[in-house]
Amino acid sequence: MGRFILRRVVQLVLVLLAVTFMAFSALNFLGDPLVNVIGPLAAIDYCDEVEAGLREDSFTTLNNLKGDCEIIAEAKEQYGLDKSVPVRYVTWLGDIVTGDLGTSFQTQLPVSEIIRQKLPKSLLLMVMAEIVALAIAIPVGVYSAYRAGRAVDRATSVASFGLLSVPNFALGVVMLQFFALRNQWLPASFDDTNLGTRIHSLLLPSIVLGIGIAATYQRLLRTDLVTTLQEDFVHMARAKGMTDSHIMVRHALRPSLFSLITVFGINTGALIGGSLVIERIFSIPGIGSEIVTAVIRDDFPVVLGAVVVIATGFVLINFFVDLFYTWLDPRVRAS
Amino acid sequence: MSTTEASMADEALDEPEDDSAVKKTLGLAFWVAVGWIVTITLAAVLAPWLPIADPDEIANGAPRDGILGDNLMGTDALGRDVFARTVHGARISLGVGFLGIILGVTVGGALGIVAGYFKGIADQVISFMFFSLLSFPALVLALLITASIDRSFWTVAMTLGILGIAPIGRLARATTIQFSEREFVQAARVIGARNKRIIIRELLPNVVIPMGALTLLGMGISIVAEGSLAFLGLSVEGEAISWGKSIVDGSQTRDLEQNAHVAFVPIAAMFLTVLALNFAGDRVREYTDVRETAF
Repeated sequence: MGRFILRRVVQLVLVLLAVTFMAFSALNFLGDPLVNVIGPLAAIDYCDEVEAGLREDSFTTLNNLKGDCEIIAEAKEQYGLDKSVPVRYVTWLGDIVTGDLGTSFQTQLPVSEIIRQKLPKSLLLMVMAEIVALAIAIPVGVYSAYRAGRAVDRATSVASFGLLSVPNFALGVVMLQFFALRNQWLPASFDDTNLGTRIHSLLLPSIVLGIGIAATYQRLLRTDLVTTLQEDFVHMARAKGMTDSHIMVRHALRPSLFSLITVFGINTGALIGGSLVIERIFSIPGIGSEIVTAVIRDDFPVVLGAVVVIATGFVLINFFVDLFYTWLDPRVRAS
Repeated sequence: MSTTEASMADEALDEPEDDSAVKKTLGLAFWVAVGWIVTITLAAVLAPWLPIADPDEIANGAPRDGILGDNLMGTDALGRDVFARTVHGARISLGVGFLGIILGVTVGGALGIVAGYFKGIADQVISFMFFSLLSFPALVLALLITASIDRSFWTVAMTLGILGIAPIGRLARATTIQFSEREFVQAARVIGARNKRIIIRELLPNVVIPMGALTLLGMGISIVAEGSLAFLGLSVEGEAISWGKSIVDGSQTRDLEQNAHVAFVPIAAMFLTVLALNFAGDRVREYTDVRETAF
């Protein structure tokens, strides 16, 4: 187990380096961070000539105190953009390891502070969505496996297949319209007064997110349970005269949760993506809304910081799911 | 616990699953799904020549007209024809979905086959690349790319393609590994066939089959991803209409309260298309799954 964990930790570090490097270089190579800092001015390309004294600097900004090339040079120095990309990556990586994610170009607030404010709301939404998903998927999965091949099972199969084809934003818009606007049963937008109002106002969005995940979980759980129910220990339990509900819940359920646990990790990616979109629909001021605002304003450090935090969280969750899974089922270690 | 319940449980516990039986027909529902996909594709391609309203014409009908008004599926807040906008929206939604999945299948498939066939260092590098790509939540990767470049039609299509590379590549790699151990590949190698010939003549035809199903499923995922990007303000920019953008347009509180059909019509179009693609993909996968009959 020790060697296994060590190998996984090395892999984890490599992946985190790859992920951060990809995020960093995407925004640096594909986009131009200088444009984000000083706007269209960054497009001026004759600054080398100005520096060499071959031509005069231009003064296009409103308060013509500084030359355009002077502004460019200052911005480059302030944000470290005068250095090469690998150097900037290493510097930036060193900063994030110490918790410094940079400063927002727009608000001048530290990015770590922005994330600290926004992330808990998104996390609460995701945790609630997982609870909703499990609360639906486990009973429905158990019951449909119990009645495998019968009308109830077929109906749930069709329903979950259909649900998997509903984009979460579509479900969000339809449920917002029906439950919050046409009938005012649940709040349509986020209320940050206290924990109670937060949970109450996140009910509808978490149900929207949870239903989609529940369909995936239910299908997996049903398939695994049907297989488990063929096992000898289930027959044994039946022969001893245990009730069906006792067998389903106490004997068959636990060994059937393996696929569910694996998929829980992978599915977190879809959950994160889903919550970014759902936050927009239900006006939740979480990390998703923050990213969208930052993208619109070309606020490069905020986008980068948020993406890195999300991707790191995602990688870590999968890492721990992997370890947990191996701990549950030692056969995995051998492969 | 009653006896009837116990006997039902008996069946549930003892009966082998009946839907595991191999069905070797595609079934009527499959052709209905294909029919819908063909119809919507034709409508998208032919949209400018179809006898429908101009999707961009403001005040084509009375603003916020209901679904059974003068316009077939009502009008939006600016009086634009919702039906025409949905038909025209299919052009971008299906277009980016189709181009994206073609890119994903070509690049992912090629990398996957190379990794699975040559193994060794090539496999390690490619597999690590797939693993890193999959370490981003898909939508976060998509927003990173579109936010960094621009929001043109081609960028959005390319982004959706990049999302497909890793999952498709992994399947191609697994299938290649599975087949490269089989007798016919080893026979080809023994008689001195070169790698290029083995890959193209022996492996590719076998890898393409499971990819077909994934292409249909992936196109559905791409169409949904365009919609998600639209909600983040990152879909194709400008006046271009897509289903995602139409849904976003119709999702303002006032629209949802007074004329929800503006959002609901494109939602229905997207749902039916994704459902048809998922269903067709699922049936093709079952139909071409040769594992049970191969040996």
